Amino acid sequence: MHTVEIAHVAKSFGSTHAVVDVSFDVGRGEIFGLLGPNGAGKTTTIRMMLDIFKPDRGTVSVLGGPMDEEKKDSIGYMPEERGLYQDLPLERCLLYLASLKGLPAAEARERLDGYLERFDLAAHKDKKVKALSKGMQQKAQIINTILHQPKLVIIDEPFTALDPINTQLVKDLMRDLRAQGTTILMSTHQMHQVEELCDRILLIDDGRDVLYGRLDEIRRHYSGHAVLVSAAGDLPELPGVIDIAPHNGATRLTLADHTRPQEVLGALVAQGVIVERFEIAVPALDEIFIRVVADQ
Amino acid sequence: MHKLGRIAIHEYRLNVFKRSFLLTLMSVPLIIALNVALGFYLESRGDDDSPVGYVDRAGLLADPIPAPVSGSREPLAFLPFSTEQEARTALESGQIQAFFAIPAGYPETRDATLLYLEEPGGSAIRQLYDFIQINLLADRPAGVARRAALIGEGVIKRSLDGSREVPDEGPSFGIIMPMLIGFAFLFLFLMNAGYLMQAVVEEKENRTMEVVVTSVSPGQLIGGKVLGVVAVGLTQLTTWAAVGIVAVVVASAAGIEWFQDASLDWDLILATVALAIPAYLCTAALMTAIGATTTSTQESQATGAIFFILHVVPLYLAWLIIDTPNAAVPTLLSFLPFTALLTVILRNIFASVPAWQVAVAVGLQVLYAAAALWLASRAFRLGMLQYGQRLKWRKLVKARPS
Repeated sequence: MHTVEIAHVAKSFGSTHAVVDVSFDVGRGEIFGLLGPNGAGKTTTIRMMLDIFKPDRGTVSVLGGPMDEEKKDSIGYMPEERGLYQDLPLERCLLYLASLKGLPAAEARERLDGYLERFDLAAHKDKKVKALSKGMQQKAQIINTILHQPKLVIIDEPFTALDPINTQLVKDLMRDLRAQGTTILMSTHQMHQVEELCDRILLIDDGRDVLYGRLDEIRRHYSGHAVLVSAAGDLPELPGVIDIAPHNGATRLTLADHTRPQEVLGALVAQGVIVERFEIAVPALDEIFIRVVADQ
Repeated sequence: MHKLGRIAIHEYRLNVFKRSFLLTLMSVPLIIALNVALGFYLESRGDDDSPVGYVDRAGLLADPIPAPVSGSREPLAFLPFSTEQEARTALESGQIQAFFAIPAGYPETRDATLLYLEEPGGSAIRQLYDFIQINLLADRPAGVARRAALIGEGVIKRSLDGSREVPDEGPSFGIIMPMLIGFAFLFLFLMNAGYLMQAVVEEKENRTMEVVVTSVSPGQLIGGKVLGVVAVGLTQLTTWAAVGIVAVVVASAAGIEWFQDASLDWDLILATVALAIPAYLCTAALMTAIGATTTSTQESQATGAIFFILHVVPLYLAWLIIDTPNAAVPTLLSFLPFTALLTVILRNIFASVPAWQVAVAVGLQVLYAAAALWLASRAFRLGMLQYGQRLKWRKLVKARPS
């Protein structure tokens, strides 16, 4: 059973077709990337998952069935439009929001103390939210999303406003949650974070799903017939190679249709070249994203 | 605890522990206390019971008849003086509070002079006139003189249907009470509906709405907020009522006559409450709708002010309503949303609003409240996630729910 199953959902607002036809599922304990350019329909899709909007068409199944009030306690959501009570002290604000998730006060306080320490916010717990920096508010928002130990976390742009140290902290946290069996659906424009964290992705464009599957399979699918080589000294002429071009400190060799990468490696070794790096050239997710969206 | 209860408690604490709330809460009893103190002061000035002197050169008060005194007033002593100099000395020594000099030609000129260092209170002046008047009528039968001196005193004004009476001194405390209750309701729900509107619009401004509705249902969110705000209102009302009761008891014990007649007109009170409850719901629902459809606190306050003005329209037309309480305009205002409560209260001060009109007004208010609640729930559902974008009223009425 999948944690999330979305089948052919559509949603329009007047004459605007926000989502036309989107289908995907998210398995238990995976980090799933929901990607797409601005206005593609990601937020509307998430809001339909959460029953904030009713789909005009299609079905939504979350945690084994249609969304209901009880399931809300098992979901953690951090929307794109961040929201904390600005005039409340941080600790009181987070405890109140945790109470709305059905978390008993004592348990919430105990867990919160741990997270505040981990996110380096303990010294700021009595400050009003509005007195905190953007990065601190972002961390507080993440704590609010996971404090009640949800089974499903839906998180929109989790790395915005975070410095590299805190970005790493959040990434570690997401990996920890995945290890504990929590399902994470992440929407972001930071493709390198997706490459690093996500198991599978869905790319939406113009309200339709245009790319869906395992990240490594997608990258392989979009890879050209090429290898990346770094070697001591210049590369010799190689049979079966039709183009040689520099690429991020290495050299990209485009192979003829009949040439296999193993043959190129063999030729390099045979010619006494000291090979420092040899890998199949797969495109970055950024490139795939641009290529797919441009093709639409 | 139920989530609705948690939201209600949160909302209550958020409002009640604000400095501005405590200031409002305390300022009203303080104003009442100041008014009571002022009343005491004025009353004590009026109750100066030291004697009044007179110098009678016209020979009218050679064998004076004492002036009749009505109600609980203390009768003043009138002391004769042979000369103005004697009277002035007595005045300056504090033996008398004032004296009047009646010249020899008084029967022709009707001119007398009143001298004082500090103006006597209303009661003293009235007794003084009554004293002269009854002695001028000394040659008439005693009953005639007494009625003349007492004219205007003890006259009871009664409504045509005989159901209500207003004494000459003005409406009693008991008669005024329904009006006070009505105004208290009006003040309460205008202020509390404002809190509710602010609570909704702040939730939108803070962007917490989207987070909260993934924890609770929109119904729980709005229900909790309404309960919390109503509890805030009850806190205010209870505090003020307690202070009011203490003030009335103290004033009554201190002998202020007006507070001693506390017989209440329960029909009027019931009519007021029956109108006030749906009117409160209607206002609260509309304020929620405004909070959900506008984009900022500032904008919501500006829109909410329009409804505030509509509520006090009857005050601007008060003279018309009081002069012709059963004419077409006051009757129409009694049936409209926002204006009904205050109009019925004002009409009831000097007339009796027919029972059928009260029943129709209450029925209409219930309908308005139901329509406002329907509109508010749609506004909330459609407008809660429209950040920085105003929800158009046409869309509110026509759009299919999300």
